[in-house]
Amino acid sequence: MTATDVAAEKPAAAPPARRFKLTFPVLLLGLAGLVVLLSVARLATGANDITSGGTISAALGLAVPIGLAGLGGLWSERAGVVNIGLEGMMILGTWFGAWGAIQFDNPWAGVLAGALGGAIGGAIHALATVTFGVDQIISGVAINIVGLGFTQYLSKLVFSTMKGGGAKQSPRVPMMGKISIPGIGQPLLDLQNKRWFLVSDLAGVLHGITQNVSLFTVLAIVLVPLSFYVLWRTAFGLRIRSCGERPVAAESLGVNVYLYKWIAVIISGGLAGLGGAFLSLVAAGIYRDGQTGGRGYIGLAAMIFGNWRPGGLAGGAALFGYTDALQLRQGGVSVHALLLVVALLLAAVAVYQLVRQRRNKAALVAGIAAMAVFALFALTDTVPEAFTSFTPHLTTLLVLSLASQRLRMPAADGVPYRRGQAK
Amino acid sequence: MLMAAAACGGSDDKAETGASASSEPSAQGGGKGGKVGLAYDIGGRGDQSFNDSAAVGLDKAKTEFGLEAKELEAAPGETDAQKEERLRLLASGGFNPVIAVGFAYSGPVKKVAAEFPDVKFAIIDDADATGPNVSNLVFAEEQGSYLVGVAAALKSTKNSIGFVGGVKVPLIQKFEAGYVAGAKAVKSDIKIQVKYLSEPPEFTGFNDPAKGKTTAQGMLDAGADVIYHAAGGSGGGVFEAAKAANAMAIGVDSDQALTADKAVSDVVITSMLKKVDVAVYDFLKNFTAGTVKGGETRYDLKAGGVDFSTTGGKVDDIKSQLDEYKNKISSGEITVPATP
Repeated sequence: MTATDVAAEKPAAAPPARRFKLTFPVLLLGLAGLVVLLSVARLATGANDITSGGTISAALGLAVPIGLAGLGGLWSERAGVVNIGLEGMMILGTWFGAWGAIQFDNPWAGVLAGALGGAIGGAIHALATVTFGVDQIISGVAINIVGLGFTQYLSKLVFSTMKGGGAKQSPRVPMMGKISIPGIGQPLLDLQNKRWFLVSDLAGVLHGITQNVSLFTVLAIVLVPLSFYVLWRTAFGLRIRSCGERPVAAESLGVNVYLYKWIAVIISGGLAGLGGAFLSLVAAGIYRDGQTGGRGYIGLAAMIFGNWRPGGLAGGAALFGYTDALQLRQGGVSVHALLLVVALLLAAVAVYQLVRQRRNKAALVAGIAAMAVFALFALTDTVPEAFTSFTPHLTTLLVLSLASQRLRMPAADGVPYRRGQAK
Repeated sequence: MLMAAAACGGSDDKAETGASASSEPSAQGGGKGGKVGLAYDIGGRGDQSFNDSAAVGLDKAKTEFGLEAKELEAAPGETDAQKEERLRLLASGGFNPVIAVGFAYSGPVKKVAAEFPDVKFAIIDDADATGPNVSNLVFAEEQGSYLVGVAAALKSTKNSIGFVGGVKVPLIQKFEAGYVAGAKAVKSDIKIQVKYLSEPPEFTGFNDPAKGKTTAQGMLDAGADVIYHAAGGSGGGVFEAAKAANAMAIGVDSDQALTADKAVSDVVITSMLKKVDVAVYDFLKNFTAGTVKGGETRYDLKAGGVDFSTTGGKVDDIKSQLDEYKNKISSGEITVPATP
């Protein structure tokens, strides 16, 4: 609620300078600029992994489960139901995904089963919060606990009798198909290994996103614009969002708020379940007890990061996935190069604020931060392992804290709603 | 709620003790004390790794000495107080001896063992929890890891190898230290990439095959062709990555050329065997014979507590060299560092 208050007051307090608006050309320009920055950092440090095809491909793989969980959170919270149970629904998705794929010997059966498993979790959440008016946080936490316990129980029942399985893990699941754009794989790889400025980086990025991409990844990426279309461009989506903004008004206009909340929360569970299924079917190739490792919560953070918008949360998931891939693959070396990127970015922000927005104080702060990060970069050779492992979390936290003043959650998000309460 | 259920279980079992003890009176050493309490670390029985190995030792002792056992397991993210409570339940429920599996029980065992001086405690992988009634069963992981490090260096054609650790705790760093020392002993200029999947108190690194796979892929992309993992359940991802890149992998704790899935097990050239089952079995054997002694028992290469596996015949060509190093370590000619 406070977020909306801040947002409402802000225009009056903010300087009348031209506000930054993110349009599609600006976004493309920004991405291109980022690749240039990365290329500079790569040449300056020799950390060749930061734009390699392998890193981009790993980043995609790490971003998908988080993005799907975030998308799940988006659907639910747009309908006004806080869904902290995403983690539990993901766990259900990992188990049912692996089970479906093994049972029917088809990974797509696993995808479907994973979505259904998550949707069951969503249905429980909807029953508790929408129908019975249980506190949404409590119901969500309960689902996280139940999801874990239930899958452990099911594993003992099902997987422990299978060959190669056990009480804690499933046998290996059937592999899902991968697609590549044919003919350009090897040329791109050769180009990447030339280590030229910009050209090699672009080749690496292209190689990462066009070669050996799992079909599940494609499905996940398609779900982002699809969610946007359904929620923002259809009457159905408008009704769902109206339930999250002002359910009383929606009710007065004849919208069956309970029904729409139910649908949204079930879809939310299904998407989180898909995220879990991706983990067990594609990312790991087996179900393993506890393999979600808090990705549901990170998905929730990605959604907030993205200002409750599909594009924004995809960006958040991508950022998290990319930084996670960097630290997992080459650790300190890559993260050290990232410091230079951050320093350059901060410097660019400082210049922008000074020249275009004339916010001298903010520019000064950004400039000092840029110099501090650059000093850190210049004085060290690598980032100690103890710090690299939380690079993704730190990055997300930093961006969140910088962006938090401009976030606006759905007005009735987390507010319990009872039918006919408007009287 | 879990605690209450466990407590009920404990008291129910009491009634049956007489029956099981009398079934094999000769091995019982007086016919009493046939109830073993075993507290697993996270993962518990069925983790196809460390805990399962303890379970194997327990099962063997159970059938051989006619023991009865109560097994409880830890939950992810629990506190020391919960572990203490678990041990206290076992000790007060008439279970003697009580075996704690895993270094995470260090503090709790020290505390609870002092509260129950008549109960014998054993803790695996920890030497810090000392007491007159505590047996510390520890392994020389660095020695076994040294041998697989030698194997990795000899097998690598690119002169570049990798190590994936689950969680950066001193125990897992012993694996790293031995592995690095072993590889360097063969080729001093070898490139060794080391990566831990998570930092304590975050223990997800033992259960995240997706991260294991990504990390291993990164190492393989950077030129490594042999990867050793000490990452529990995340190791499956390491094997997947090695399989996809036609590289080699080294297993840990048990003979993973046998336990890993058939589709990927051929990448496992050898495994560092850590015989937790032997330690548990020996302890129970000594207990029934009445010869348990407190303090540290170290299962090293010489005692057969650690070793390397040869399943699949992938290290047959270098086995004589490995055996040479093995003898040198056993005789004390080579001292393996336990910290990186």
